[in-house]
Amino acid sequence: MKAAAFAYERPSDLKAALALMAGARGSTRIIAGGQSLGPMLNLRLVRPELLVDIAGLAELKQVDRGGDELVIGACVTHADIEDGRIPDVTRGAMRRVAASIAYRAVRNRGTIGGSLSHADPAADWVCALPALGAKIRLRSTRGLRELAIEDFITGALESALQEAEIVEAVRVPVMRPAARWGYVKACRKPGEFAHAIAAVLIDPESTGARVVVGAIAAPPIVLHDAAPLFGGRVTADFHRQFDARIADAMLAKAGVTNAADRHIHVAVLRRAIAEAAA
Amino acid sequence: MNTIGISVNGHAVTASVEPRTHLADFLRDHLNLTGTHLGCEHGVCGSCTLLLDDAPARSCITLAAACDRARVTTIEGLDDDEIAGELRAAFTREHALQCGYCTPGMIVSARDLVLRLDDADERAIRVGLSGNLCRCTGYVGIVRAVRSVIDDRRRRGIAPLPGAAREQLGPVGSTSSAGDGGPPAARPSARAGIEQRPAVTIPDFVPDRILEDHFTLASRPEEVFAMLGDVARVAACLPGVALTGNPTPKHVEGVIRVRLGPISTGFRGAARIERDPATMSGRIVGMGTDHHIRSSTRGEVRYRLLPVDAGTATRVEISVGYSMQGMLAQIAREGLVRGLAARLTAEFARNLERELSGAATGGPTRPAASIDGVALVFDRLRMFVREIFRRT
Repeated sequence: MKAAAFAYERPSDLKAALALMAGARGSTRIIAGGQSLGPMLNLRLVRPELLVDIAGLAELKQVDRGGDELVIGACVTHADIEDGRIPDVTRGAMRRVAASIAYRAVRNRGTIGGSLSHADPAADWVCALPALGAKIRLRSTRGLRELAIEDFITGALESALQEAEIVEAVRVPVMRPAARWGYVKACRKPGEFAHAIAAVLIDPESTGARVVVGAIAAPPIVLHDAAPLFGGRVTADFHRQFDARIADAMLAKAGVTNAADRHIHVAVLRRAIAEAAA
Repeated sequence: MNTIGISVNGHAVTASVEPRTHLADFLRDHLNLTGTHLGCEHGVCGSCTLLLDDAPARSCITLAAACDRARVTTIEGLDDDEIAGELRAAFTREHALQCGYCTPGMIVSARDLVLRLDDADERAIRVGLSGNLCRCTGYVGIVRAVRSVIDDRRRRGIAPLPGAAREQLGPVGSTSSAGDGGPPAARPSARAGIEQRPAVTIPDFVPDRILEDHFTLASRPEEVFAMLGDVARVAACLPGVALTGNPTPKHVEGVIRVRLGPISTGFRGAARIERDPATMSGRIVGMGTDHHIRSSTRGEVRYRLLPVDAGTATRVEISVGYSMQGMLAQIAREGLVRGLAARLTAEFARNLERELSGAATGGPTRPAASIDGVALVFDRLRMFVREIFRRT
């Protein structure tokens, strides 16, 4: 259970890190908190030639509250969010999601940017942030680009991150006071990867309903307009209008062939909707 | 290889590490701090959990190279920690361990819960400990122990610390906290409303053995007493002693190196100094640990100055009490230590005499000499062999 040999660089600032990545030959991996990559290195499932450690970069450990959004640096940890060391623009939603990620010892090092770039379909931020309407900011020596989280996650452990590109920040929009939020996951043991995740953001007077169903063997299902799940229209009593058959059909179409799995996903979604309505 | 400088249990450590070496292996294999256990080695079982910048972290999936300038506290560094002490007592009382393999990680995670949780909610404790696997106890005793410590502290009016008072953003261990110039922050427990304690507290103890000795110096008692108050000068006279940090008249930290035959010891520790001018007496209570030979010792030196030759000379009466634990205690029988102590005392007396008469010019910067106990061991061996022959 010892990692294979690799070279290790700890650049002093973001510019140096980007230059290192741009000049790197062979297999190079970024490491931040190392809570996902660390186990894979120890199991020798990943054998990079070079690790570039960005955990110390001050530029990535900042937050910026501007206008109607919060820009969170990629190396902000789950515990930073859980403890409220950064402002919260989601009325407690992100703090609760963060508090339920893995274990405290993992949250103390694991980062929001690292979790997204690892792109595990059962990861909490991968499922919660699309429901919150968040975007990801990527930087390389070629410049800057931004993607919606759901466009960034392209497959199981696959993302749109290009070679020599670094996740710089996550942009989270301010949640409207009228919006209702629900987030539920099913784990056989607290802290384990979830078997089913549902995130629900409902605002009948504005954006309607946004629903994410995650922890399937593919990128999460993101419904920007989830009205069909509620009989075609999102009303004030939306939780009573929830149609489980539509959700089941949606999961079957997304490739969840096992009926028992679909049942768990639908039950978790129903609970998330109930939480949003509560 | 990468060079790292980290603080481990309050000691500055500089080392060269292979990038792939994780923190737990570094602590265990390079520093012989084997209290950090390795179970799964991929971040699941929690037995390697330790404090990184005062917050729990998995040392098996944290690279040692990534901890440059970080502050590491292992279970060995929690000996004098208030909360860890309360947890140890509660774990003992509630039978919260059997084989003990998970216990170091369990104590570190439990300590974090004791700091942060509002109250002793059983569900919160169970969820909070879900990252530490125990295969013996079924967790009942562990949860009970943690509950009792939280209950007790909250009853005593010690408030929870949200986020364990961490202020910096980013992965624990990633910020150059140890290199910022400031002293390592007091552990959160010290900030929790109890009085501020020094980094190391030296409790009184009852020595297992006491040795007594005396010698005479050709100086007046007042001169000798004043000299004994100068920590640096006294340390320079003590064979094998090197001070670290900044000694104060009441507290001193350092290393004492003593060779006992093939065994080279280096006890690192601290001592508390007490003096009473009225009775021309004093007391030094110290404790030290040698991780390489997995031994620790506590010692107490009492001295009393008496005028002789109408006050022109001084008889120094000393008593040395000590207790020993660990591997060295297995072989360092009283006779061996008594012989060694007699030699050390004689050398100390000679050095004091030289220092008082102004013959020595080296002062405290003089390199510390090591005591050679080889001859002593040979003496003991010869006697041992003779006894065997006598018996046959």
